[in-house]
Amino acid sequence: MAQSGKGKLNYRCPSCFLRDLDIDMFYDKDKDEFYCMRCQFTGSEADVLSMNETVRTRYKAMMQRFEKFDFD
Amino acid sequence: MENEFVVNIIHRPEMVPEYAEKVTGQGKKEDIGRKSLLTESLDIFKFQQETAHKNGLKVTIQMTYASLFNDEAIELAKHDHETYGDEIALSLLGLPCEEFRKKYNTKDFCIWMFSMEDKMAIVDDVFGKFHDIFGFYPESTGSYYMDADLTNYVKSKYPSVKCAVATCWEEGPKAYHTCNNSWYTLFDGGPWNPWIPSKQNTHAPAANEDEDSGIVAIPHLSRDLIACYDGNGSNFGTHPQNVLRGMIYDTKTWEYPYLYNIIDQYRSLAKYNDGYSYNMMFVGPGWLNKMGRWEAPYELLKKSYEDGMAYYGQLKKEGKLKDLTMAEFADYYRSKKTYNDPECALWRDILYGSDKQVFWYADPYMRACINMDQGGALVDLRPYAAKLEWKVGIGTPHVQDASYPFLIQEKYRAGYFTHYAGEGTVRSAKISHGGEEVDLCLCRTKAHFAETDAAKVLTLDPVDIEFADLTVTLQTVITFEKGSSKIRYDRKILSMSDPEAEVTINEYMVGCYGTTEYPEDMTGITLSVEGGSGAGSLNYEYKCREIASEGGKTASAVIPAIDTSVALSTDADDAKVYIREGYAFSPMYTLGMTKKITEGEEVTTWLNLEKAN
Repeated sequence: MAQSGKGKLNYRCPSCFLRDLDIDMFYDKDKDEFYCMRCQFTGSEADVLSMNETVRTRYKAMMQRFEKFDFD
Repeated sequence: MENEFVVNIIHRPEMVPEYAEKVTGQGKKEDIGRKSLLTESLDIFKFQQETAHKNGLKVTIQMTYASLFNDEAIELAKHDHETYGDEIALSLLGLPCEEFRKKYNTKDFCIWMFSMEDKMAIVDDVFGKFHDIFGFYPESTGSYYMDADLTNYVKSKYPSVKCAVATCWEEGPKAYHTCNNSWYTLFDGGPWNPWIPSKQNTHAPAANEDEDSGIVAIPHLSRDLIACYDGNGSNFGTHPQNVLRGMIYDTKTWEYPYLYNIIDQYRSLAKYNDGYSYNMMFVGPGWLNKMGRWEAPYELLKKSYEDGMAYYGQLKKEGKLKDLTMAEFADYYRSKKTYNDPECALWRDILYGSDKQVFWYADPYMRACINMDQGGALVDLRPYAAKLEWKVGIGTPHVQDASYPFLIQEKYRAGYFTHYAGEGTVRSAKISHGGEEVDLCLCRTKAHFAETDAAKVLTLDPVDIEFADLTVTLQTVITFEKGSSKIRYDRKILSMSDPEAEVTINEYMVGCYGTTEYPEDMTGITLSVEGGSGAGSLNYEYKCREIASEGGKTASAVIPAIDTSVALSTDADDAKVYIREGYAFSPMYTLGMTKKITEGEEVTTWLNLEKAN
């Protein structure tokens, strides 16, 4: 089994991101999967991208443009 | 008064960008002299300069030590100074390069972490080389953090320096954790907007000319004053690629309204600061590398920088933005502000959809955060009144930890909510009646700002406290009196469902001290009650003791480890004032007063900070 490397983009572990950790994942070409060194997350690129969308669900106002910043 | 929104845009030609060697060099043996790395770094710098100028914006170019060995970077800086009026300044970031490593025989790169001897040698080296090249000394400098000894040395040797990037707001344990405990920028507890640092401690603003370090400090980026306090600071600020780092964008459309919301919310702070508001954008080249950054491809990194600059450029064209270089800003700031002018920010959540609201206040005596989602509780308190001398770097007690200590920090030492036992740090009040007790931390409300010549005032919307047989409507007014070192809380019972009823109010502060999540030894703290029939004091020994005094006036704690005294006092004659010692599982102290109160009555208390030594 060869050593792991990085994918074409440098994905972070989405599971760790949810607990405010930026951890680069590595890519195992034999298994065609990304994996996290810190936690037990493994997944395909599609899995990672899908979980990144889940991450964004906490930003309920992410796409809202605010014009008022007080409550007067 | 016409509002003024002032912006500093800063670029640095960093020949070995932070992150770039680790990211783009993955799988290669470390070589910070790689030609491809140097070429890419300069390309990024050129792109950033062109983007700012295309939008009609002036830049402060912070030359790095490494760039002083690069003729092209020097020529670019000279050209843009002549053509666009950019300031040529000198950064103490970007030290790494082959020349630096050979000369100092170290991989350290954070100026505040070096020994004082090395700090002086490096400053002289860097400033000397800058002078050799440009024929003058810079007026601006900076790093992620500039400790007081460093700033004092720079100012004494190079008096032309009048502005410095001196801290990065709430970049402390949270940033450290986000980077898997490998990014040692530990400097929580400073101001979020520009200030004049004291000679004693960079974070603590100067109270007068004697304390004035001689520079105007600006923060590294303008950060989200709610999101950064709880989460990773490097996701939420006026740094387009940080917003991408936070994944705060639509992956299909590549839109990020949050970036514009932060800028606009900063603009809105003019309302609380005599018409002045401020922004700083400083993107290091490592964030724009051609390989992309994490899941963001280069095209998105580039677009976000272009969009950020375009928004500032648009505001400038509309007459809503004043772009200044750092040196120009220092002059502007000193012409606008006096030492005791506080910095205020009534800030709302603009990301999570919660409508949560906080108020930040900073002056030479304190930095404080009031949380309206917890009934106006004080949830963060830094006692700048102590002007704590806190040496930083190798050979000092704090090699990395440059944070200004807190007395209250709701995230690191709990707040209202604790698990199973003990108490967390917060300054709030409890109302009790008929065996029931309600903490105002559970009463969510909103604040409205007003000011007088002498004070900044927050008036909170009234809240209802529902007991089994009684409803109490109570209003809180919080007053920061300029230069007083005090926070005043007025609580008034506006109405009760039974006008004849009586309730008890318990105004309290649970405090500790520290700079991280982990407890400090409380031994050495003295707790005292003054006035009344039961005045007394005790030395902290984790014994769960309490002293209460009927008719007392003041409860205080003296914390020698941080040269700080904090007191809660009342002007009431019929209050019971108390202090409470904690225990090992709850290493806190409580200062408080209780008093019976009826409809229409008002209770006033003050929290007072002083230097103790």
